[in-house]
Amino acid sequence: MASKRFILKRLLLLVPVLFGVATFVFVILHLASGDPARVILGQRAPQEQVIALRQELGLNDPLYVQYGRFLLDAAQFDFGESYKIAQGDSVRSVLADKIPVTLELALYGQVIGILLGIPLGVISAVKQDTLTDHVGRVGALSGISIPIYWSGPMLILLFSTYLSIFPASGRIGSTIFLDSHWTLLGMQLPLTGMVTVDTLLLGEPAAWVSAVTHLFLPAMTIGIYSMALISRMMRSSMLEVVRQDYMRTARAKGQGSKITIMKHGFRNALIPVITVIGIQFGGLLGGAVLTETVFGIGGIGTMLVAAIGANDYPLVQGTVLSFALLFTLVNLVVDITYSYLDPRIQQ
Amino acid sequence: MRLLPSIVFLTPSTGTLKFGFPPYGCMADDSVSRRSFLKAAGAATVAATSTAGCTGLTGGGGGGGTLVYSRGDHPTNYDPQQTTSGEVAKVTNQIFDTLIDFKPGSGGELTDGLAEEWELNGTTATLTLKEGIEFHNGEELTASDVKATINRFIDDGYEYFLGTENRSGYSSVTFGDWVDSIDASEDYEVTIQLTQQYAPFLRNLAMFAAAILSQSQIEEQGSNPDDQAALGTDPIGTGPFQFEQLDNENQRVQLSSYGNFWGDGPNVGEVIFKTIGSNQTRAQDLINGDTQITDNLDAQSIQQVDNSDSASVVQKNGINVGYMAFNHARKEEFRDPRVKRAITMAVNRSAIVDDIYQGFAAEADQPLPPDVLGHNDDLEPYPHDPDQAESLLEEAGATDLTFELATFSNPRGYNPSPIQTANQIASDLDKIGVDVEINQFSTFSSYIDYTYGGQHDACLLGWYTDNADPDNFLYVLLHPGVEASSLSDDQRYISFEEKGNASNVAAWVNKDYVELVDEGQTTYEEGSREEIYLEASQIAHDDAPWMFIDYAELIRGVHESVNVDTYTVSSVGGPYLELVEMN
Repeated sequence: MASKRFILKRLLLLVPVLFGVATFVFVILHLASGDPARVILGQRAPQEQVIALRQELGLNDPLYVQYGRFLLDAAQFDFGESYKIAQGDSVRSVLADKIPVTLELALYGQVIGILLGIPLGVISAVKQDTLTDHVGRVGALSGISIPIYWSGPMLILLFSTYLSIFPASGRIGSTIFLDSHWTLLGMQLPLTGMVTVDTLLLGEPAAWVSAVTHLFLPAMTIGIYSMALISRMMRSSMLEVVRQDYMRTARAKGQGSKITIMKHGFRNALIPVITVIGIQFGGLLGGAVLTETVFGIGGIGTMLVAAIGANDYPLVQGTVLSFALLFTLVNLVVDITYSYLDPRIQQ
Repeated sequence: MRLLPSIVFLTPSTGTLKFGFPPYGCMADDSVSRRSFLKAAGAATVAATSTAGCTGLTGGGGGGGTLVYSRGDHPTNYDPQQTTSGEVAKVTNQIFDTLIDFKPGSGGELTDGLAEEWELNGTTATLTLKEGIEFHNGEELTASDVKATINRFIDDGYEYFLGTENRSGYSSVTFGDWVDSIDASEDYEVTIQLTQQYAPFLRNLAMFAAAILSQSQIEEQGSNPDDQAALGTDPIGTGPFQFEQLDNENQRVQLSSYGNFWGDGPNVGEVIFKTIGSNQTRAQDLINGDTQITDNLDAQSIQQVDNSDSASVVQKNGINVGYMAFNHARKEEFRDPRVKRAITMAVNRSAIVDDIYQGFAAEADQPLPPDVLGHNDDLEPYPHDPDQAESLLEEAGATDLTFELATFSNPRGYNPSPIQTANQIASDLDKIGVDVEINQFSTFSSYIDYTYGGQHDACLLGWYTDNADPDNFLYVLLHPGVEASSLSDDQRYISFEEKGNASNVAAWVNKDYVELVDEGQTTYEEGSREEIYLEASQIAHDDAPWMFIDYAELIRGVHESVNVDTYTVSSVGGPYLELVEMN
């Protein structure tokens, strides 16, 4: 298991990474044209009103003063209020609303990817160069090659329009609204923001069914892509492992080939796959943008695109830093998993 | 769990009430809390409303039901004084009322709103409020609500002022520039003194930004502007639908019908605004019946809806204009009308409208769209005539003309394909030897900053009306914003530094035009006012400060579960969802 020292070292490394990202985002946004005061007041506002607001927002201060102010606030995870997309709301509360939405989608997508991808990769490797392997490889290649903006609408067309099994958009039935808290032992507790979890916490099985049916197509869209990468990596990693000396030794000791593969081969073959899963998870958060747009899900991905489009600086800064934080944390988890699978990595 | 009336639905065969689980989770649960509107509507309505609680999924019931309106964006604050966004207005127009309203389905004709009588005499506007109108919190509307509403928006000395950082750009445009004082000493009479005679003022009172808020809610929010800003997350109005909840995680707004609404309707039990970013998915959602009405469809999704059996496309002329503005301050050649006419004639505008905008627009020939007072029917679009264009350029000595054409990237109602439009213009002008360099902006706010700052040679832009008044086009977009007396007779442009009107990106000056528009602002008699604007439109057409491109149509998709005859597409104000009935 990973030592505390190892984890602490990794956590400390987060500081320069996040500082770098924060600086980069600040510089990029301030190099871009577009007056935030105009963004807030809109096309109709007279110039005098825009000038007055610029002064009030401190946008006339020298850049280093604005930068200092930004860093100080960012260190407390305070990015101020959204200029446009969620005008007047604090960025923190917007992120609290949106991150669980995307996280839920990415998690289910990843779970589908792993559940389908790993067995498919193992089977392909074990049955190398057979028809099963060829079918699996073509499937994986298609999964990587088909863009989400095509596979998403195709799934809608098939499962929603023709078969009427799953709904085309949203996270839950249009007419179902959930309470904002759940109760445990008489205490009111906040919900997670993940609708498949919240409906269970609230004890609403039918709403849960609605949430799951709504999540199925978008999660599948992401899952197919994820599955393709995982199965390809699993296959090649497995093929490499089965050729190792210790595998031959195991078989020479009389262990059956299935036991050898699952007991000795699988665990070792997982290491590169976990790297892919870790890196890919960060990618999935970003890749959820397209899925969210296609399926009308208001997650952080679509919001970030809209915020960039609207020059909503505080929201962009807060979102990018949260992404960076999430991405580095996922990588930390990956590193810790490595050290569990192969303790030599900590050294 | 808060559940909608959808928990109960009628079985058609027996007519009995039954609990059950329709598709996608409209479900039964006796422990749910009922919404307040059920109380108001009375027990008799329960069955009807309940029947159609899942209308989007299972078909509607007469006089009740849920109307799901899908759109492309989800704002999170529904305070009419904090935004210029049409997406917010769609919702606030259901919750709030204005003193005067636009008649549904008309091209901007005024009708009574909260006021039963109104009059603008000189610099005094007098409005008599209808008696017995109640806000959703049960309090009666009086003149003091009107006064508090306007003060909150414009008066920084008012205790409950919204704050410069929170109020929208409409603050000055709607009231701030014109209102001197408000007298609300009588309960049902409001007298507004204006700083000057201003003909469009009554139309300003019909704008969504002029919606009347409840004084008690304003005061309950407190004197801190940030607390005032929070009003938009729990708005209370007098409109046909009352605010129930804002579900930001799922991008929905839930409204329920208001039983004590003073006007016609509402005919549905509740309205849910939900957001689906992708046009195609929104259209598909409509076809599936999960959405009843949707808007902002692009050409492809219009086709999708049109080809379906379950939904139809509804169209109406919009009150908007799309144009290419010539920057007279920056490019000397543009001060010669012959050059601008030549450019206009060289560009095949009907091809832009028919092919790029897929025919969902009409070719423009003047700044005012057809439904607006002063639109000059005698004018015709300049013909597409590249040969004559070349001769005009030669005559003007501008044969080696080159210019930059700035454009935004994302579609807007008046220009569904800006990049393609810019390319078409550049390609047509190339044929007569004019070199155009396209400067493309990825974000609209950067683009506005650039063009309002006058950094462009020419730019693509457009305008939707706020109040269907000619002044809202002719002053806002083409008046220099300075006194006519400060201009000389032969002046053709004004610098961006001197200009007092940010949205006039052409920086065009024609003293006769300026005098006419000034006169139009202070003329109250409609016939005389029309004459003035007919002449102003003629000048703008002849001098061509813009290449007039199009007047775009408004397109909506409507599901068969809606009685399409009861849904009127509004070119200004609305949507009037209180009039909509389900089949």
